[in-house]
Amino acid sequence: MAASKVMPRKAHRSSVRGGEFRFIATVLVPTTIFYVLFRLYPLAYAFYMSLHDWKLLRVQQTFVGLKNYQTILNDPLFIKVVGNTFYFAIAATVLGTIVALYLAILINPIERGSTVLRLLYFLPVMTSTIAIATVWLWLYQTRFGLFNALLTMIGLPRIPWLQSPDWAMPSIILMSVWAGVGFTMIIFLAGLRGIPRSFYEAAEIDGATTLQQVRYITIPLLAPVTAFVVVTGLIGGFNVFQQVFLMTRGGPLDSTRTLALHIYDYAFLRLFMGTAASMAFVMFALVIAMTFVQLRIQRTEWEF
Amino acid sequence: MDADITQAPQQTITVSTGNNIWKRLRRSNLSNYLLLIAGALVMVIPFIWMLSTSFKPQAETISFPPRLLPMHPTLDNYFETFQRLNMGRLYLNTAFIAVVKTIINVYTSSLIGYIFGKFVFRGRDLLFYIILATWIIPFEVYMIPLYVMMVNFGLGDTYWALILPEISSAYAVFLFRQFMFTIPNDLLDAGRIDGASEWYIFHRLILPLSRPVIATLVAFYFMWNWNDFLWPLIVISSTNKYVLPVGLAVFVAEHGTQYGLTMAGASLAIVPVVILFLLTQRHIVQGITLTGMK
Repeated sequence: MAASKVMPRKAHRSSVRGGEFRFIATVLVPTTIFYVLFRLYPLAYAFYMSLHDWKLLRVQQTFVGLKNYQTILNDPLFIKVVGNTFYFAIAATVLGTIVALYLAILINPIERGSTVLRLLYFLPVMTSTIAIATVWLWLYQTRFGLFNALLTMIGLPRIPWLQSPDWAMPSIILMSVWAGVGFTMIIFLAGLRGIPRSFYEAAEIDGATTLQQVRYITIPLLAPVTAFVVVTGLIGGFNVFQQVFLMTRGGPLDSTRTLALHIYDYAFLRLFMGTAASMAFVMFALVIAMTFVQLRIQRTEWEF
Repeated sequence: MDADITQAPQQTITVSTGNNIWKRLRRSNLSNYLLLIAGALVMVIPFIWMLSTSFKPQAETISFPPRLLPMHPTLDNYFETFQRLNMGRLYLNTAFIAVVKTIINVYTSSLIGYIFGKFVFRGRDLLFYIILATWIIPFEVYMIPLYVMMVNFGLGDTYWALILPEISSAYAVFLFRQFMFTIPNDLLDAGRIDGASEWYIFHRLILPLSRPVIATLVAFYFMWNWNDFLWPLIVISSTNKYVLPVGLAVFVAEHGTQYGLTMAGASLAIVPVVILFLLTQRHIVQGITLTGMK
């Protein structure tokens, strides 16, 4: 085992005492049981379910092999759902990252009042998505909502925010970006603090404009942070559920039906648990792919 | 002091003030402030609108043009929502679940992280990486079998079903393990030489030293647990066991067009968390830096 080979060098104690051994065992035996019982076993169980025509409370489940996978991959609705999920994840991540980076660059040099500003931007991050979606449901209301009221006041036509298949997803994305931007901004701020001031001072002496400083110092040096933000944003985006559950229920015309919502509906409303499990594994494959991308990026040497 | 020296800087100042107004304006970050304040307004307006609507009588919520301040402010929405949502019960349930889950998870994860960070034994890294790998399994994958398991154990619609799967979290274990590397081994050895038991060392030495990580993770997990939605939605079916987000979602589905009521409900859900946040924000902001970068 790899771990035992490096033991002698890493060891800070030459002998493991009896008390120490008992301590480790007392902690790690229940730990192992927990992670097997509540993570690994369900994972294997989910795969097992995905190979069956699985119905809750039925004694004998019918084995169907890969038929569930075949069915969903040939189902135009499922393909649309995967497309919707990508649409959400990519648009929300790209928009959120750009806005957050811009805000972080604006707030970074500020000394007085920066705490208050950061708190205000962070406010929605603290709040439950359900509560935020409740509020935005009202803001987006077609006849009396605040957004359309403001549009009518400046002479523009109303927008059918959540009621048109074209607008519903952008509306959900807009709200999600608003809700998450404070979090990303703080990650970027931490990254900005790691860039030496002297870089900017040197650039200023050479006559670089603010825009050039951002383009040639800030953005390249923040590349690792940006990569982290983008990948975690995409993984989070694949899981989007609460917003669409409360605001549109996947509609209109399935334009906001996302993977998580679709899996939930199949598993717990229609009770096709085998099919739902196979969908969940498609999602798992996407997340694993993103995780590998991130591991690759993290391993890359970033030369400053 | 010589006269020459005191005079020299004065001259440079008078020369530079004239064309330095732009530079000074840039230093004062005026445009940054303006943009950031505009952005902050965008962040705050939905909350203000929520509060304002929650104090309006139903007829006023759908009048045009909309007014920022209610003409006839009323607390009726709050009384009605508090009663219909069974708000006292929801607060209690949610607080209980969030506190219990947070304490258990942070305690066990600190203990496991300590073992992985400070002890050497066969198979340690293998076990650690298996645990860490479980972190990337999306909840959607294991929620279905987990639900079947809970029903089979007879734990469906109980708080056990909410608490048991969250006894420990791979992410918290990972963060604690990272932190343990910063604690010097000599400290532990000194304790052992003095004859302290391993549990004593953990409780009296390691836990107090881990206070910054513990504070951050407690704040974080409390926030996440308080806002948790999907699993309680699936596994809890009795109304009197609902947690706040589920209760609110059901309430919104039933009273969707009575915006005074739904906004009062949202305010009741948001305000306690915001107050808690203002009290603990230092840990949370530190925590993002910690968790985001490492």
